Amino acid sequence: MFDWFQWFTRLDNSKMLSLVLFLSAFCGILVYVFGNRRRGQRLESYKNIPFLDDTPPPPGAEAKPSKVKDNEQHDD
Amino acid sequence: MRHEHIEVNSGLMIALVLAVISIGGLVEIVPLFYINETIEKVDGVRPYTPLELRGRDIYVREGCYLCHSQMVRPFRDEWLRYGHYSLAAESKYDHPFQWGSKRTGPDLARVGNKYSDQWQVQHLLKPTSVVPESIMPNYPWLLHNDLSYADVGDRMRALRRTGVPYSLTQAEYEANVKTFGKDVADKLDISQAQDNLLKQARGRNYDGLPNRITEMDALVAYLQVLGTMVDFSKYDEGYFAEFR
Amino acid sequence: MAISAAASAEQYNYDIVRKFTIMSLVWGVLGMAVGLYIACELAWPFLNFDIPEITFGRLRPVHTTLVIFGFGGCALFATSYYVVQRTCQARLLSDALADFTFWGWNLGLLLGIVSYMAGMSQGREYAEFEWPIDLAIAVVWVVYFFNFITVIVRRSQPHIYVANWFYLGFILATAILHIFNNLAVPISLTKSYSLFAGVQDAMTQWWYGHNAVGFFLTAAFLGMMYYFVPKQAGRPVYSYRLSIIHFWALIFLYMWVGAHHLHWTALPDWVSTLAATFSVLLLLPSWGGMINGVMTLSGAWDKLRTDPVMLFLITSLSFYGMSTFEGPLMSLKSVNALSHYTDWTIGHVHSGALGWVAMVTFGSFYHLVPRLWDTKMYSQRLIYVHFWLATIGIVLYITAMWVAGIGQGLMLRAFDDYGNLAYSFVESVVFLHKPYAWRALGGAFFVSGIVLMCFNVAMTVLAARREQAALEAKLAAKLART
Ligand code: HEC
Ligand code: HEM
Ligand code: HEM
Repeated sequence: MFDWFQWFTRLDNSKMLSLVLFLSAFCGILVYVFGNRRRGQRLESYKNIPFLDDTPPPPGAEAKPSKVKDNEQHDD
Repeated sequence: MRHEHIEVNSGLMIALVLAVISIGGLVEIVPLFYINETIEKVDGVRPYTPLELRGRDIYVREGCYLCHSQMVRPFRDEWLRYGHYSLAAESKYDHPFQWGSKRTGPDLARVGNKYSDQWQVQHLLKPTSVVPESIMPNYPWLLHNDLSYADVGDRMRALRRTGVPYSLTQAEYEANVKTFGKDVADKLDISQAQDNLLKQARGRNYDGLPNRITEMDALVAYLQVLGTMVDFSKYDEGYFAEFR
Repeated sequence: MAISAAASAEQYNYDIVRKFTIMSLVWGVLGMAVGLYIACELAWPFLNFDIPEITFGRLRPVHTTLVIFGFGGCALFATSYYVVQRTCQARLLSDALADFTFWGWNLGLLLGIVSYMAGMSQGREYAEFEWPIDLAIAVVWVVYFFNFITVIVRRSQPHIYVANWFYLGFILATAILHIFNNLAVPISLTKSYSLFAGVQDAMTQWWYGHNAVGFFLTAAFLGMMYYFVPKQAGRPVYSYRLSIIHFWALIFLYMWVGAHHLHWTALPDWVSTLAATFSVLLLLPSWGGMINGVMTLSGAWDKLRTDPVMLFLITSLSFYGMSTFEGPLMSLKSVNALSHYTDWTIGHVHSGALGWVAMVTFGSFYHLVPRLWDTKMYSQRLIYVHFWLATIGIVLYITAMWVAGIGQGLMLRAFDDYGNLAYSFVESVVFLHKPYAWRALGGAFFVSGIVLMCFNVAMTVLAARREQAALEAKLAAKLART
């Protein structure tokens, strides 16, 4: 059943495979994350999350969380 | 596809994390169970006798593996110091493996028959009495404690369930005779476990106390068999290299 | 003051965070004291006293378990519960289930270390618990996962903050590792045999062992870092996009590298070569993460002069960088041939464990404690003293281990002019005595540091109670007057 696994045990195969897989996934992530300036700005805006809770939001004042929501809406 | 989908949807995130962390383990571990070359084909490696098995339990109990490795590596200095490098086949019945990660003391993979039983007993009682510079702890209680062996059959049954060829049925016994020869097959017979244990301990009297079966008997029996099962003069070096 | 504390106490469950914080310090003191004791046993073996329960072989798992799962584990429970509630702005779903994880985890540990001393052990490093405790821990872990994920699901924030990804990755990976590595056939309540044998068992164990390091001691503590460093610095993390890359690369790569603990053994070569390759790659995300953390402080470097808590956090990141450089180096087969089995490994372990894990925990706790009890730390100066005790301790510890490890490695492979071994094994044991004594001294420094911290925290908590009582008395008096 797992005979096809044998293929991976050849270092020549697995080396190439892992290189291709990993590198393409990695480049994909890089392009995604750094490729688009607006997306970049949106992603960066999340780094303020730890500071949103300094004063517990009193009922009715939803200013801060909704700012993040706005960011969600205008994107790419 | 936006990264937000992942960040916003915790279910998807869990699935992705699981997928990403599974790849490495699957690719490296699963083939080890299916590839024939993982373990060499050599004669002589057999499961432990009941007495040796109890000795091994004590070895694990006292945490000897935290100071001693059981894995000789293929280097010249290790060859000179310990002997032939260890084969995968030599630990194929070891549940759990005891290769170790730290050598505060020397490797023990080939310590069997290196010293006399008396030396081993004396060394375990008080290592500094034979090696003055030693920092190994004393283990005097091994000689005070009688060995408990009432459940040795249960232990062998548990190991049998993991795949160690201890025999319960006639057919299994006969298969063992075929693979290991009659002498060994008799010792792997679970129904004879206690008798075999007593026979081995009384026969060689490892601990020097003829009237008692102590934990020392079992531990020394185990130490004395380590690394002695394979007769390396029967194989030439090139043979083992194929499996690495 | 009291009012805002009351408000946030309602908004978040801080009680559970307080309890885990205190237990983390308790286990920390105990575990490190045991570490110091076994360090002394190696230098002065008479300390084994012929008492089975405290011989080196039985105490060493007590040390590793207490510091990793007791000190580290409780610190992770505490901070993950704190961080996930605050960054999701949602309360834990059930206080009872949170308490269940507290009692389950700590009683499990207590039972575990008593059982080690009694000689019950599965004989696999960091997974020495026998199967009933393993099962209990698995149940606690599932509940922990439930507690954590239900906060995330109920968050009032659309986005899940990056610290929570790291915690989530850690919880999931630990569950998988724990279950697969502890598969065993029991023969009684106190004894079992592992399901796998030999090579397969070794590979499973080190797949577990390395990821205990990778997910328990690294990924989860990075979660801690991504929350507490920005909070303490008062500025957001340097680059959020870098943290995304950091996360995925790290969790992907870690799972491949376990076999670097088995170089040159009977494990097939292809596995260990693969592991070595991935170990070297692992340097990149690790350093990416370190840079991300350190650069958070860019433009506010003067904080290092005025804020001892920041000093802890930034030093921990430096040690993280150092041990993740040393690790890939030791994964190279040629280097590993020397370092494996020696104290070099022990030095590497503790530059990660003391320098990274313990220091980042101390820093986070100094940030956390005043907020949990709604007061100020009792003494800023004692934090400085703790910092220097810890730093000197670490430096002594790891230099002693480099000397010991490299020295012993070289001695054991030295030949004389005739091609015979130059040294016997015991000669290397004699050589180790001095480094072992120095290591013990370093350990003593480190232990006194954490003891000092406990004093500081205890005084803080007592003062907070007094303040609280005074306030309540005032309030009561006011009410009585009207
Ligand atoms: C603190 C670490 C430590 C522990 C724990 C320990 N040993 Fe040792 N052991 C040593 C040291 C150091 C030496 C080398 C000096 C000597 O021969 O005593 C040694 C030597 C040995 C030797 C002689 C090996 C040789 O080739 O000369 C044997 C056999 C041995 N130990 C067995 C055991 C057993 C069995 C246990 C568990 C019950 C154990 N050791 C536990 C440190 C330890
Ligand atoms: C006061 C501080 C400490 C001292 C004195 C100390 C001492 C020791 C000693 C003597 C050993 C055994 C080494 C050997 O077998 O040769 C050890 C092992 C270990 N310690 Fe510590 N320790 C301390 C703190 C910590 C902390 C805080 C952690 C983790 C968070 C930790 C994790 C470990 C681990 C994982 C091992 C096993 C290493 C291996 O198997 O390679 N230690 N420690
Ligand atoms: C890029 C990151 C890292 C790599 C590639 C790496 C690599 C290694 C290597 C090669 C060994 C030696 C194995 C042996 O010869 O037996 C080792 C041991 C160890 N490392 Fe790391 N390391 C890394 C980071 C860390 C960190 C951050 C910690 C944190 C605490 C850590 C903890 C340990 C422990 C506990 C051991 C000892 C395991 C044992 O033998 O019991 N490592 N590591």
